[in-house]
Amino acid sequence: MNYMPGTASLIEDIDKKHLVLLRDGRTLIGFLRSIDQFANLVLHQTVERIHVGKKYGDIPRGIFVVRGENVVLLGEIDLEKESDTPLQQVSIEEILEEQRVEQQTRLEAEKLKVQALKDREKEVQTEEVRGSQS
Amino acid sequence: MEGVGQPAKMKCLEGPHLKQGPAKSCVSLAPEKELVSASQLEEEEENEEGEDDLDPDPDLAPDPEEEEEEEDEKDLGDPAVLSAVHNTQRGGLSSPGIKIPDVLGMSPTSLHFLWQTLDYLSPVLFRPKFPSANSPACHFGHQLLLPDPSLFCSLPTSWPPKFSLPSHLTQLHPQHQRLLQLQQHSRMQSPPAKKPWSQQPDPYANLMTRKEKDWVIKVQMVQLQSENPRLDDYYYQKYYQKLEKKQADDELLGRKNKVESLKLVTPYIQKAEAYESVVRIEGSLGQVAVSTCFSPRRAIDAVPHGTQEQEAGAASSQRLQVLHHIEKMFLQLLEIEEGQKDGPPEPCYSEQQSNQVEKLFLALKTQEQNNLEEAADGFLQVLSVRKGKALVARMLPFLPQNQAVSLLLAITHHLPLLVRRDVTDQALQMLFKPLDRCISHLTFHELLQGLQGLTLLAPGSSERPVTVVLQNQFGISLLYALLSHGEQLVSLDSSLEKSNSDYTTWTDMVVLIAWEIAQMPTASLAEPLTFPSNLLPLFCHHVDKQLVQQLEARMELAWIY
Repeated sequence: MNYMPGTASLIEDIDKKHLVLLRDGRTLIGFLRSIDQFANLVLHQTVERIHVGKKYGDIPRGIFVVRGENVVLLGEIDLEKESDTPLQQVSIEEILEEQRVEQQTRLEAEKLKVQALKDREKEVQTEEVRGSQS
Repeated sequence: MEGVGQPAKMKCLEGPHLKQGPAKSCVSLAPEKELVSASQLEEEEENEEGEDDLDPDPDLAPDPEEEEEEEDEKDLGDPAVLSAVHNTQRGGLSSPGIKIPDVLGMSPTSLHFLWQTLDYLSPVLFRPKFPSANSPACHFGHQLLLPDPSLFCSLPTSWPPKFSLPSHLTQLHPQHQRLLQLQQHSRMQSPPAKKPWSQQPDPYANLMTRKEKDWVIKVQMVQLQSENPRLDDYYYQKYYQKLEKKQADDELLGRKNKVESLKLVTPYIQKAEAYESVVRIEGSLGQVAVSTCFSPRRAIDAVPHGTQEQEAGAASSQRLQVLHHIEKMFLQLLEIEEGQKDGPPEPCYSEQQSNQVEKLFLALKTQEQNNLEEAADGFLQVLSVRKGKALVARMLPFLPQNQAVSLLLAITHHLPLLVRRDVTDQALQMLFKPLDRCISHLTFHELLQGLQGLTLLAPGSSERPVTVVLQNQFGISLLYALLSHGEQLVSLDSSLEKSNSDYTTWTDMVVLIAWEIAQMPTASLAEPLTFPSNLLPLFCHHVDKQLVQQLEARMELAWIY
């Protein structure tokens, strides 16, 4: 912002720790090392953080080069306040397991919904038939 | 529900960055509804964890550290709040900035914010009283139990605080503004000792050099420039005008003239004269899209522009030509194969097909070269490429015998060369099967021609081609196939023995080849793809027993290997 008042630029964010949310839903945390005019990012010492409920797990990923169009948002992480979180960190295996479980319950719920809707449909159809007949 | 609504003065429990700030203060609680009832507070106190040794007794067993605060405590209306405050003070101050315990049922951040708000509402003098400098550090260190030390080994060097408040950029909520101000002040004034880890230089800093940063900014600026900013950037311009006006008014009213807000000034960069968004680089295939700030991703046209460069003599372009030629012939071959219904490929009987085949053969053989020598050379070049070999292999079954024979002869005559060129591909094997078929239809005379190419000494070389051939799998297979066929012809047709010249040539060649095989160390002898059964008898006819034995040993051994 020193450089370009009145605009938003990532120049000031270089070499700082950031949290980046990608369009595919992933959350990356890393030091922003380089940018370009398309907001392509180079993240250093990157960690992919998976959140499930109150737990989270970090998967170390190394260096990321992210194409700018895939970024939803990013924000600087205050290193002081970083560990100040009510969330609980768990191991990678555990969080992946939790994620899988969550995914499964979601799918099952989805299935039930679909089934319920189908049943409703059939009900309505039979009612219509009955209605037309009477 | 005493807590709410009671205007009690509460000590501000700031993080370290606010420690020595001026007049940060405690406040009336009245307007804030976020406060929880006193009863809840007491509960929380009990639940409150202490990394530091907290005296759980809220009611102020006076600590040596906090003695001075006792007087202040009398000011506080609500003992519950007070005690919460007290505990937090012990806890919070010892862990500067990292952890503000979850007191009052609020998250730390909102708690902090609350204080700022209250601060805003009614400023009261704040008496900074903190534990000694030692404790924060050690608690601090303790608190910093980072899950992955490697991630946090270093702080970026751009730690030096930003002095510019983005005041003119957005209308911040006054509370927000105050928050930022306080943060800024604290950063400016916080002693370095408090944050030992922040001083470690970041080894990876400034990977992006100043030049690069300037470049990015320049690109971005160029995108912003316009002839008519009042139109293009209406809102910013209007906003800036309003801001300036406000500052001017403030100045008139007597308030200090703040630092002049910066205005975005886009550089006037001369627009480049008509740029080419698509560039063709000499010697490369296709086009390269040059991205500029006006067209970052320009689509490349699929239509070829310009003429194809003719670079006479350049090796690469020649290779390209050969490849191009192979592709064209392949298309023709595919058409022929398509025309041929299911079944093994054979010389076809329909006129159209035979025309196609003829065309293809001519394309291969002559390659539009007038010079016979160059044409042969062209054929060899085709065979030097893996795809060319595949082409010929697939084409052979379609050819009438005479044409196939001519190809075979060309191959045998240049076999050493082909073998040498096949070192990387090792793809000559695919030619064996169709050639074998062709060989089985050879006449004796043609056969002799084929073999002659192998046995004659090449000019300027002391080595017979046979030697090279024997060391290559394809070569030796071809040789054996030829010999076998010859033997078959001879054994079937006794009249051949009568034609002296041919027969003599034949026997001479057989002897020569046998001798060469015997000479070759067994290890170098390549393993043939097929081993015709009539070879040994053939050799028996023409060479002495000793040699035959040697041959037997070698050939069988080689075969076993």
